[in-house]
Amino acid sequence: MKKMKNSRTSTIVLHNLLIAALAIFWLIPIVWLVCTSFSEYSGMNTSTFFPEKWSAIHYSKLFHPDSVAQFPQWFMNTFIIACFTCVISTMFVLMVAYATSVMRFKMRKPLMNMAVILNLFPGMLAMIAVYFTLKSFGLTNSYAGLIMVYSASSGLGYLIAKGFFDTVPRALCEAARIDGCSEARIFFQIILPMSRPIVVYTVISSFLVPWMDFVYAKMILNAGISSKYTVAVGLFKMLDKSLINSYFTLFCAGGVLVSIPISILFIIMQKFYVEGITGGAVKG
Amino acid sequence: MAELKKNVGQTVGGFFKSIGGFFSEFGTAVIKGDIFVKLSLLWMGAGYARRKQYIKAAIMTVIQAAVILFTVKFAMEYIPKFGSLGTVKPEKVFNMKTMKNEFNDYDNSFQILLFSLFSFVVWFAAAVFWMRNVVNVYKLQKTAEAGKHVNTFLEDLHAYKEEKFYVTLLTLPVLGVVIFTFIPILLLIFVAFTNYDQNHMPPNSLFTWVGFDNFLSLFGGGGLTATFGYAFVRVLGWTLVWALFSTITTYIGGILLSLLLNSKKTRMPKFWRTLFIVTIAVPQFVSLLLVRNFFSNGGIVNTICSNIGLTGFLRDIGLVSTSYIPFLSAPGWAHVMIILINIWIGVPYQMLIATGVLMNLPSDQLESARVDGATPFQIFRKITMPYLLFVTGPALVTDFVKNINNFNVIYLLTENVYTTTNQAMANSQAKEVDLLVTWLFRLTQDYYNYKMASAIGIVVFVICSIFTLVAFNRMIKGDREGTYQ
Repeated sequence: MKKMKNSRTSTIVLHNLLIAALAIFWLIPIVWLVCTSFSEYSGMNTSTFFPEKWSAIHYSKLFHPDSVAQFPQWFMNTFIIACFTCVISTMFVLMVAYATSVMRFKMRKPLMNMAVILNLFPGMLAMIAVYFTLKSFGLTNSYAGLIMVYSASSGLGYLIAKGFFDTVPRALCEAARIDGCSEARIFFQIILPMSRPIVVYTVISSFLVPWMDFVYAKMILNAGISSKYTVAVGLFKMLDKSLINSYFTLFCAGGVLVSIPISILFIIMQKFYVEGITGGAVKG
Repeated sequence: MAELKKNVGQTVGGFFKSIGGFFSEFGTAVIKGDIFVKLSLLWMGAGYARRKQYIKAAIMTVIQAAVILFTVKFAMEYIPKFGSLGTVKPEKVFNMKTMKNEFNDYDNSFQILLFSLFSFVVWFAAAVFWMRNVVNVYKLQKTAEAGKHVNTFLEDLHAYKEEKFYVTLLTLPVLGVVIFTFIPILLLIFVAFTNYDQNHMPPNSLFTWVGFDNFLSLFGGGGLTATFGYAFVRVLGWTLVWALFSTITTYIGGILLSLLLNSKKTRMPKFWRTLFIVTIAVPQFVSLLLVRNFFSNGGIVNTICSNIGLTGFLRDIGLVSTSYIPFLSAPGWAHVMIILINIWIGVPYQMLIATGVLMNLPSDQLESARVDGATPFQIFRKITMPYLLFVTGPALVTDFVKNINNFNVIYLLTENVYTTTNQAMANSQAKEVDLLVTWLFRLTQDYYNYKMASAIGIVVFVICSIFTLVAFNRMIKGDREGTYQ
């Protein structure tokens, strides 16, 4: 009996050691990022894993902008863009999801099929044409243009939210309708409060889009005015071949500072993500 | 296969049926309607004015006027040139009045194409609107003739909060999608049939229709771009290999990791899960650019490898011919590394999804299996795995399509790092590690080769849609939408 217990403890220890080993392996680059950001040397450290001299000088440099790095400004820019994108995208996604999930109308199926087809085109392809369209309206190098790019087509990403709405019991809506409740009130006062996980998920995920994306931002904000960049474009430009040797550590410091709030939001979101996704996938 | 045909047949059949229904409704309205309904064909407000819905009549009149104004002032300037995409090149002409050299009134092919398409879309929408209007007016006539109550304007408006609430909800999102996704895609489909490239860049010069020439050179036809066919086959091959391996490795890895983390033996599962999530929570442009420098030719991993003698060993057995290990700068090495790095990025994601699904595993089945004396492995094979496949199967298909279009990973890891030594690839601006999407991105961004980029884009679309159609029809039998409501 005692022997059996021993072998059980040892498998548990082994099991947890395996997980720990995997976690350490997974975190190596992140640890390197944090360590390098505290290096005194500005270029890339190629000889040792840990920096030779530790210092927080590059974090203070981040808040004293020079012509290349204007981190506080970038952070503000991205924050403003993210707020607008978040509001518009969330509205669009939830509106489309409700209409296709709860309501029944003639154009429902054709519209949904159309969305599937449009989603199969590489987004990169449409982007080039969008760029020219924005250019002919003078909207390149403006935040308005970038916000439109991020949020205008967001309605296409309605499927997860729809999957969740599908699981809300229809009897509730029917009862409300019989009681003379308008569709608008059903939406705002019944479906939305019952769908908190998916609302939170939609809000956070659309807020994160401008922080994560650099391709579209790089394309739209192409005038090369450093103070108008978003965080992603700014950090990306720091690793240009001509700049990498004097800005690599600054890039790491900036990367750490951006990653902290994003990671926190992401960890909050993943809880709702799991709830939302499986709620939709399993039940409908 | 028969099932696929049936399903597609149903979709297409249903589509034409609804179009036919729409036209027959319109026809009946025109034939059976009274004089005001017929007058609505010319003046869209007529039918409403007859039923004393003056506000609606006014709105219809304004919309009609706007469409006519749009046609005269805007559309007519571009659509007549649509067939040729412009004929007048920009030239400096001496203006007698200002005594200066000025540009003539030249054509811009791109503007002509873009605004013509825009006009076509507006016209199409206007035509549908116009036909619906006649049908509505005819319905109104019937209501009035039957002596029923005719809605006032406020009541009509109220309907948009009630049974027509979906119109209120969908108008703006659909408009956004039409302008920012639909018209751009349409535009680039058309560009694939023109010679829009570096030598034909508006506004300095014109481009024009060339039929299927771009597709011919993509599939190995001759001409100046003879290498495109060569590069296309290789890029396509790698794209499919990449999509297959990256999807399967992260899927299996994610399931294994989630089984490991959700096992009863794990202490502090939440803590470990959070650690893994941190790697995907860091934005990809930070983590991937970092990893790329981590593995660069003069980077830290290479230093360590040469210190412990791995580089020397690999050179001895002939795997490496340089003084460093070309992790991301030589074919073969780069291909393997990209898939490995993608495991690092992708497994936590799949772990998240698999965790959510595993939590919903029907516990009664597990319990009875355990009572009957099934081993953990048997339970996994006979219960857990089929259930996971059933729930996440469709997601596997979308993941494959997403990976075909996985721009970020490839671009961030290889741009400016990987240079091809294959002359034929370089001639068509492709690299061995390119996916079709990164190739088309480079073609447009650095080489302004829009015609080939568009042709590639269409090919990507065709591949994705064929794959999705086949896979979904195999996996999802019928419509499960309402099953669990």
